[in-house]
Amino acid sequence: MARVEFRNIRKEFVDDNKGTFTAVAGSDFVIHDKEFVVFVGPSGCGKTTSLRMIAGLERQTSGDILIGDRVVNNLHPKDRDIAMVFQDYALYPHMTIRENLSFGLKNLKKPKEYIEQKVSQAASILGLESMIDRKPRELSGGQRQRVAVGRAIVRDPQVFLFDEPLSNLDAKLRVQMRVELSELHKRLEATIVYVTHDQVEAMTLGERIVVMNNGIIQQIASPTELYANPQNMFVAGFIGSPPMNFIDVHKEGNVLRMEGGEFVIPDSMAAALSKYENEHLILGMRPEHITGEDIPVISSLDYTYSTKVQVVEHLGSENLVYFRVGNRTVTAKVHPETTGYPGMEKTFIFNFDKVHFFDPETEQRIDW
Amino acid sequence: MKSRSKVIMLIVASVILVVWSVLTIIPMYWMLIGSVQDTKSAASFIPKMIPDVLSVAPYERFFGKTNVMRWLFNSLLISTILTVTNVFLASLAGYAFAKLKFPGNKAVFWVLLSTMMIPAQVTLIPLYILMIDVFDLGNTYTAILLPGIVSVGNIFLMKQYMSSLPTSLIHAARIDACGEFGIFWKVILPMAKPGLAVLAIFTFVASWNDFFWPFLVTNSAEMRTIQVGLASFVYADTTDFGALMAGATVAALPMMILFFSLQRYFLQGITIGAVKG
Ligand SMILES: Nc1ncnc2c1ncn2[C@@H]1O[C@H](COP(=O)(O)OP(=O)(O)OP(=O)(O)O)[C@@H](O)[C@H]1O
Ligand SMILES: [Mg+2]
Repeated sequence: MARVEFRNIRKEFVDDNKGTFTAVAGSDFVIHDKEFVVFVGPSGCGKTTSLRMIAGLERQTSGDILIGDRVVNNLHPKDRDIAMVFQDYALYPHMTIRENLSFGLKNLKKPKEYIEQKVSQAASILGLESMIDRKPRELSGGQRQRVAVGRAIVRDPQVFLFDEPLSNLDAKLRVQMRVELSELHKRLEATIVYVTHDQVEAMTLGERIVVMNNGIIQQIASPTELYANPQNMFVAGFIGSPPMNFIDVHKEGNVLRMEGGEFVIPDSMAAALSKYENEHLILGMRPEHITGEDIPVISSLDYTYSTKVQVVEHLGSENLVYFRVGNRTVTAKVHPETTGYPGMEKTFIFNFDKVHFFDPETEQRIDW
Repeated sequence: MKSRSKVIMLIVASVILVVWSVLTIIPMYWMLIGSVQDTKSAASFIPKMIPDVLSVAPYERFFGKTNVMRWLFNSLLISTILTVTNVFLASLAGYAFAKLKFPGNKAVFWVLLSTMMIPAQVTLIPLYILMIDVFDLGNTYTAILLPGIVSVGNIFLMKQYMSSLPTSLIHAARIDACGEFGIFWKVILPMAKPGLAVLAIFTFVASWNDFFWPFLVTNSAEMRTIQVGLASFVYADTTDFGALMAGATVAALPMMILFFSLQRYFLQGITIGAVKG
């Protein structure tokens, strides 16, 4: 059993000059056994701090951390049965790859044969055999990355902790390593906690994703759930690329009025939004749910909206068309053969099947 | 245009370096050349730059003096011990100040640092009284060694150096079940080698060349260091210049050996930070 649990974890840093800074503000979650969970959020949101608290490298200000069924609050990192892969790999520069891999096991006074077996096993899983007697500086970035993972594997930990392990690799290698990590997870059958600020990495790797902002957990859900049902505007805007469009609308009965147009919504939807009668609210719509009238994607609830195209980006598989609604820029992800050029007067189809509404004050999603 | 100004820069730099080298080498050459000319008479104690006759007589007179080997041994012993203690303690303290969290870390460091503002001359007499009168350590190795076991300057140097080492390695080692001293010994020290080499050379040279303190706390001939001993070639009315130069040459040898054997690290240490990665 290797679940990881946070019970109302807070972490404050006390700085002589800047006073107290809250990096993690009351986190609660359970990571299940063998689960691959990704912490994602913008820079400085407390991902690394959370991970380091699991590792025991940073002591929480308050709250309890459980690994397996043990409260590990006061346990040294070495006693927590975890292994960590660092963003800068943190390989010991003066040791060979073999020594790097075996260092932890030696410190744990494991028998020599056991260490040798573990090291060669990890080396073969990761394809490091041919460079086992080299020093880290003689390896490429991707190879160093593998050694860092290998150092974690040999430990047979209950929980693997990854802190942005791919961020120093080039784009192509990153995709390759992503696949490898995914396979590794299946093979190792271990619990993995993975930190990244890259939402694509989070979506592709995570079985569940913990979205954080400013030290506060915004939502914990599977990638599809996160994408389909973001709980608030932060999650809606953070997950998905290009991000969700937000449009200010004013509700008057069944009419949602916006700059340059209006939508007459069905009764059921209007009823769900009744609280906002004669008030503003925010409509959220993903770029792929806005298409061009010439090559539309038809759904059960479509509205048209005509406006002037600002910019068109051709991505090959699709085009991104930008236009303005009020003071916000809206992105439509359209079929690559959809016509469009800057300045063109164009009619777009808004697909309301997947529309979201948010409270402008709390930024929480309004169910309909 | 650019390459021309580069060439000029190169020429200027070369000229400065050549002049500097000559200025550094001349005294050494003088010492060497003086040590192989038998200028026993005080009248001609300025040696000829190109000697007509080479002689080993000054070396014979130098080594013929009683206690010379003892002085060399004393110097070697003291400098070695001080080098080891300084390298070990300064790196240990520097590491703690740079990387470990403990209450009062900053405060203690600043107190230490502020002691560097006090000139050595000011503390010399209290230190002397402490060693000789209070601890009654006159004419002992301990008296020579104790004040120099570790210097604040070296701690400061090491703290700066240790700060530049990546903290994630310490964390990795901690997760790798390495004890706190093991982290220092097996991870930090090997990485800090260039810095340690620089520290070792500085400390060895400084304690080898130290004249005043050993002179102050020793009074018997056997307890002299070589630098103090050399002074005994200056007699009341004359100076045995040849033997003095021979002694100085012998005394310079260990430093040369040390420097050349560690120069790889030394040059690395000086350029650290200049090139990243
Ligand atoms: N040792 C520390 N002392 C003071 N503040 C700290 C310390 N460590 C982290 N912080 C602060 O806590 C906040 C969260 O840091 P953390 O490293 O967890 O961010 P992150 O989510 O991992 O960001 P990134 O994506 O940039 O790595 C940041 O604002 C950071 O400045
Ligand atoms: Mg981080």
